[in-house]
Amino acid sequence: MRNRNRIAAAAVAMTSIVAVALTGCSSGSSSADGGVGPITFASGKDLTGAMPQLIDMWNKKHPDQKVTFIELSASPDDQRNSFIQDFQAKSGKYDVLWDDVVWTSEFAAHGWLQPLDAAKVGSDAVLPAAVASATYEGKMYGAPFMTNAGLLYYRSDLVKTPPTTWAELEADCKIAKANNMDCYAGQFNQYEGLTVNVAEAINSAGGSFLSKDGKTVTVDSPEARAGLQHLVDMFKNGDINKAAITYQEQESANAFLDGKAMFLRNWPYVYTAASADDSKIKGKFAMAQLPGQDALGVSSLGGINLGVSAYSKHKKTAEAWVQWMQSTEAQKILVSVMNQASVLSALYTDPDLVKVSPYLPTLQKSELTAVPRPQTPNYNAVSLAIQKNSYAALQGKVSVDAAITQMAADITQALK
Amino acid sequence: MTVTIDRAAKARRPRRPAEARESDGRLAFWLVIPSIVVLGLVILYPVIASIVRSMFGDGIGESPFVGLQNYANALWGLGAADFWGATGFTYFVAAVTIVLETLIGLAMALVMNRAFKGRGILRASVLVPWAIPTAVAAVLWKWAFDPAGIINALTGSTIVWTGSEIPSTIAIIVADTWKTAPFIALLILAGLQVIPDEVYEAAKIDGAGAWQRFLRITLPLVRPALLVAVLFRMLDALRMYDLPWIFTHGSNGTTTLSILVVQSTLSQLKPGYGGALATLTFVFIFVTAYFFVRVLGVNAVESVGGERKERKR
Repeated sequence: MRNRNRIAAAAVAMTSIVAVALTGCSSGSSSADGGVGPITFASGKDLTGAMPQLIDMWNKKHPDQKVTFIELSASPDDQRNSFIQDFQAKSGKYDVLWDDVVWTSEFAAHGWLQPLDAAKVGSDAVLPAAVASATYEGKMYGAPFMTNAGLLYYRSDLVKTPPTTWAELEADCKIAKANNMDCYAGQFNQYEGLTVNVAEAINSAGGSFLSKDGKTVTVDSPEARAGLQHLVDMFKNGDINKAAITYQEQESANAFLDGKAMFLRNWPYVYTAASADDSKIKGKFAMAQLPGQDALGVSSLGGINLGVSAYSKHKKTAEAWVQWMQSTEAQKILVSVMNQASVLSALYTDPDLVKVSPYLPTLQKSELTAVPRPQTPNYNAVSLAIQKNSYAALQGKVSVDAAITQMAADITQALK
Repeated sequence: MTVTIDRAAKARRPRRPAEARESDGRLAFWLVIPSIVVLGLVILYPVIASIVRSMFGDGIGESPFVGLQNYANALWGLGAADFWGATGFTYFVAAVTIVLETLIGLAMALVMNRAFKGRGILRASVLVPWAIPTAVAAVLWKWAFDPAGIINALTGSTIVWTGSEIPSTIAIIVADTWKTAPFIALLILAGLQVIPDEVYEAAKIDGAGAWQRFLRITLPLVRPALLVAVLFRMLDALRMYDLPWIFTHGSNGTTTLSILVVQSTLSQLKPGYGGALATLTFVFIFVTAYFFVRVLGVNAVESVGGERKERKR
């Protein structure tokens, strides 16, 4: 009898230990230090290796408010999952997080992010499109940190002046044909990159996906059809190689770097590889703004906003840190060491920086007109609706008209 | 563990059988409790939590109780096209790969079971695909199926394998078969090795040819191992995720049930609807496995029994 009791007690104790372990991590304490103190910063994998340098600069100045760097996966999907798990557990393990522009609305709508002071993190010095990408329902939920826009890479040895319209682009395709090359490459696999490319085509033709407030679907329009039609036509007449239906960023960049494609739509990062000493096309390429239907086109906007978790215990420090990350001092490291595009307009004309990255003035023009992708808390479902339907149209399985009609229906459902 | 307990029980039984059995039972009960608690925590709790969650709606803020609405959406509502599309693809790929893998696996096992020089090396090399993590194998095959990849180079074709429906499906089936046929081969090989040589010798003396020996001896005797292998593969194939995800991201109609569940739950943050999809997937797999075991399993037992009766007569 005694034996049994002891074992029973042990079993109960074991169970309660497990129970405590399961629930214990969610307990939190209110901060008695006025929100000032050490914080953590969670970002995607730091491929540049320069993030510790930035953090050290801050830590030296603020020894009582040290920032600890938490490096997450290189995959954006995994980063988002980590953030969401942290939010759902309300743990506040990540005080400041690396927030892709397309997540900001979703995180803000769930109440996971702390609204920030627009006067401090959205001043006139910051590119307006970047501010727009961090804004949800009139409030800013992140400090724009890095931005990005698509550019048209072209072979300057074959094409003297870059095309500004689709008609000019298609006319130039004769040159590609004569040289036995593909004319145009972009990202057309069914993934986020397709949303970016299709959004650029549709926005450049004057179309849109959602109304300003993100509540009404506006894609069912002749403009959107014209935009998608442009890409479908290029696939049909061979100006885009049919293999491009499998291209993500790297495959499309490789086609250009190997000299197989004459035009490439991609982010600025390809410049580094294309201008390297061992590059086949070194000195034979240049970068321009994307062409559009009747005039220059508009790019989709990429980039990173730094969000402050609603569950952070040291919000004051977190707010000060994201503000500092936007300062000229920090942004210069971003451009010169990390080779990323700054959110500060002034840095695009800085002579020293332009010498290293001659495309900066073009990139700035592209960013000034760039349009954020649909801003909605249901972004992933909306993006999937765009991808699926435009992909089917590019494959030639459905007509452009049917694809856009279905896209509108799918987006309407995604918003529910 | 069990051996020592059995021995202890045997040693004590002659003295006070009833009491000993009772105290053994009690001891066993307490010994089993921790595993049951752990299993309950890691298996039962998530399953129940997922089913409960699937009865609630999705949205920002609170999630209202919606009963079976999520299931209705998946089965005949707005999500029906996606759900049945994924179900169809999952079952199609599972059926085709299992047939191919069983045939190839059986052939591999028969070869590996023969005694010849270099058998060890052959056995080890056949197992290599199975030892490679699926994600890595998927990336390898994705490169092979690239429009500029080795498969097009060897066959001289210009097919964009992961760019349309039928080629994508073929690519996935080929990669999956390459990866898991060795697994079936391994299980069948284990079954082959317990068949005594005497049976074959006796058959030979009775004048049975190689084909007859295979049909009359090898197949019936290896059947239990074969069925277990197929059952394992079926459970695996019906929850396939990584291969099509890496190949096509679920485009070209290659979305499996598991991809759909992950898309709804994690990507679109709809745990209610995703929970319903997960539960439906669970039920589908369970029912399929149950029928498989019922139909084929029962038959196997009956036929063995039947043969014995005949022989007695």
